[in-house]
Amino acid sequence: MDIDAILLSLKLAFWTMALILPFGIWVAHRLMSLNKSRPWIEAALALPLVLPPTVLGYYFLVGFGGKSFLGFPLVFSFFGILVASLIVNLPFAIQPIQRAFEAINPEILEAAQVSGLSNWQIFRLIELPLAWRGITSAAVLTFAHTLGEFGVVLMVGGAIPGETKTVSIAIYDKVQSFDTAGAGMLALLLLAISLIAIGISYGIFSRNPSQQHGGRA
Amino acid sequence: MLKVKLSQSVPMPIQINLECKPGELHALVGPSGSGKTTVLRTIAGLRQPNSGKIECNSETWFEGDDSGGAHKSLSAAQRSCGFLFQQYALFPHLNALENVCIPLQNSGLNPNERKNIAREWLGHMGIGELAERMPHQLSGGQQQRVALARALARKPKILLLDEPFSAIDTPTRQSLYKTLAELRKDLNIPILLVTHDLREADLLADQITVIDQGIGLQTAAPQTLFQKPRNSRVAELVGISNMFHGVFDAGSLTWDGCKQIFSVADKGKIPPKARVAWVIPQSGLSIHNIPSNISVPAVVEKMSSLGQIAAIQLRLEGSQNTIEWEASSAEVRRLGMEVGSQMHIELDGKQIHIMPLRPINDPRRFIDH
Repeated sequence: MDIDAILLSLKLAFWTMALILPFGIWVAHRLMSLNKSRPWIEAALALPLVLPPTVLGYYFLVGFGGKSFLGFPLVFSFFGILVASLIVNLPFAIQPIQRAFEAINPEILEAAQVSGLSNWQIFRLIELPLAWRGITSAAVLTFAHTLGEFGVVLMVGGAIPGETKTVSIAIYDKVQSFDTAGAGMLALLLLAISLIAIGISYGIFSRNPSQQHGGRA
Repeated sequence: MLKVKLSQSVPMPIQINLECKPGELHALVGPSGSGKTTVLRTIAGLRQPNSGKIECNSETWFEGDDSGGAHKSLSAAQRSCGFLFQQYALFPHLNALENVCIPLQNSGLNPNERKNIAREWLGHMGIGELAERMPHQLSGGQQQRVALARALARKPKILLLDEPFSAIDTPTRQSLYKTLAELRKDLNIPILLVTHDLREADLLADQITVIDQGIGLQTAAPQTLFQKPRNSRVAELVGISNMFHGVFDAGSLTWDGCKQIFSVADKGKIPPKARVAWVIPQSGLSIHNIPSNISVPAVVEKMSSLGQIAAIQLRLEGSQNTIEWEASSAEVRRLGMEVGSQMHIELDGKQIHIMPLRPINDPRRFIDH
C-alpha cells in the first residue's frame, strides 16, 4: 500500500475542500443577485465539467509554468496541484450550494428583512443554516472528486512521490509496472471512499426538504 | 398615525391614499390581483413605488416622485413593521421560541432576556407550551400564532396582516379573530389588514379601503361602504345585490322599467337628468301581500331556504328588474309567499343611494363623487 500517496491525496482533498467552500458559498450567493451576466458566469464556472482534463491540464501547464500568475512557478509542486484542483472543483462546490440557496422560499427572507435583520444577519442566521444540505453536499463531492482526480494532476504535477503523486497517479504507475495487486488495493480504497461520500451526499438530499429547508412551496 | 400616498403607473398601476390611526384596524379589500398585497409590501419596504410618501408617526419612511425617484427610502429592516404573511413564513430551522427571538436580535438585550420576551409573547398567544416545537410540528393556527408573536416581538410601529386567515379552518379563524380583537386594545398601533373576504373586513375593520386594479376606490367605515358606495364599481365589489339604473333629476329618481318615481336626496353633485346607478339596503325594502299607493307590484321568482333565513328573488311586473330580499322563514310564512305569488314592494326613498354612472373606459369612474 502506497501510504505516501494516500496521505497526499487526503491532504490535497482536505485543503481543496477547506479552501473552496467559503469561496463557493460566496460565489453561489452572489450569483443569486445577478441577472444578465449570470448565464455566462455560470457557463464559465461549469467548464471543468465538460472540458477534457488534458485541455484543462494544458492551460494550467502554460499558465502555471515560468513565473505563473503568482510570480513563481506552480508546476510540479503540491501548491500547483492544489490551485489546479481548486479550479477543477469549482462546479462541484458552487452548483449544490447555489441550488440550496435558490430553494429557500423568498417569503422567509422577506420575513427576516421585516424582522429587522441586516443582510449579514440574514445570511448568517437564515440562509446559511437553510443551505446546509447543499454546503455539505458540495464538501463531500469536492472531497471525493479531488481524491479521484487524475488527468489534470498528472499534467500539472507529474508524479513526484510525496509531492504530487496522488492515489490515482499511484494506481496508474502500479498498472504500468504490472503491480496489479497494489493497484487493486488502491483502486478498492478509492472506490470505497467515493461510494461512502456519494452515499452521504444522496442521503442528505433524500430527506424531506420542506421540514428543515424551508423550500419553495 | 400611518399616512400612505402611493402613485405609479408601471409595472402595475397603483393609486392609493390612506390614513390609519393608532388602535385602528384598516382593511384593504379587493378582488384577487387588485394590488392589495402590493400596497402592503410597499408599506413594509419590500418593494419600492415610483412615487409617493409613506409616513409613520411623523417619520418619513419613503418619499419620492416620478422625476427624481426616491428621495428617501428606509429599508424593510429600518421601518419597524410587524408583518404577518399569508403562509406564515416561519423560519423552518428554528423552533417557535427561536422564531420569536429573531426580531429581538438587534434589541441590545442578552440572549436570556430575548428568550424571556419571546416566551411572554408566545404566552400571550396561548401557545407558551409549544415554545420548543419546530414549525412543521405545529398546526396552521399554531403557526399563525407564532408568526403573530414574531411580528409583535420587537414592538413594531405598525402591524401589517396579509390575508392572515385565509389558509386556516373556520374554528381556528374565529379564535384568531378574538385574539386580534384583544390585541388591538393593548397594542394601540395602526393595523392594516389585507383580505378579499368582505365579511371578515366588516367584522374586524374600523375603516375599509376598496381597491381595484391598484386604485383605491373608496375609504369608509364598513356601514357607510355597504350603504353608500361611492360608485357602481364599489357597489359591485362590495357585493351589493340590489343595484339598479335610472335617471336622476332635481331630487327625483326614475327607475328604468318602472313607473314609480322616488324622491331622493343627494349632495348636489349629480347633474340634471343624469343617468345614475342606485342601491338600496335591505332595511330600505319592505314586502307586503296587499298593495299601497307607494308600492310596486312584483312576482316571486325564486325562493331558497338557508336554515332560518330565506333568500327571495322578486321580479317587478312588466320589467326585467329583480330585487333580492332576505327574510326570516316566519316572515315568509306570514306573507304566504311562494314561487309565482304576487307581492308589493315598498322602497324607502331616504335609504336610496345614487351614484354617477360612467362609461367603463372613463378613468373618472374610479375616483368620482
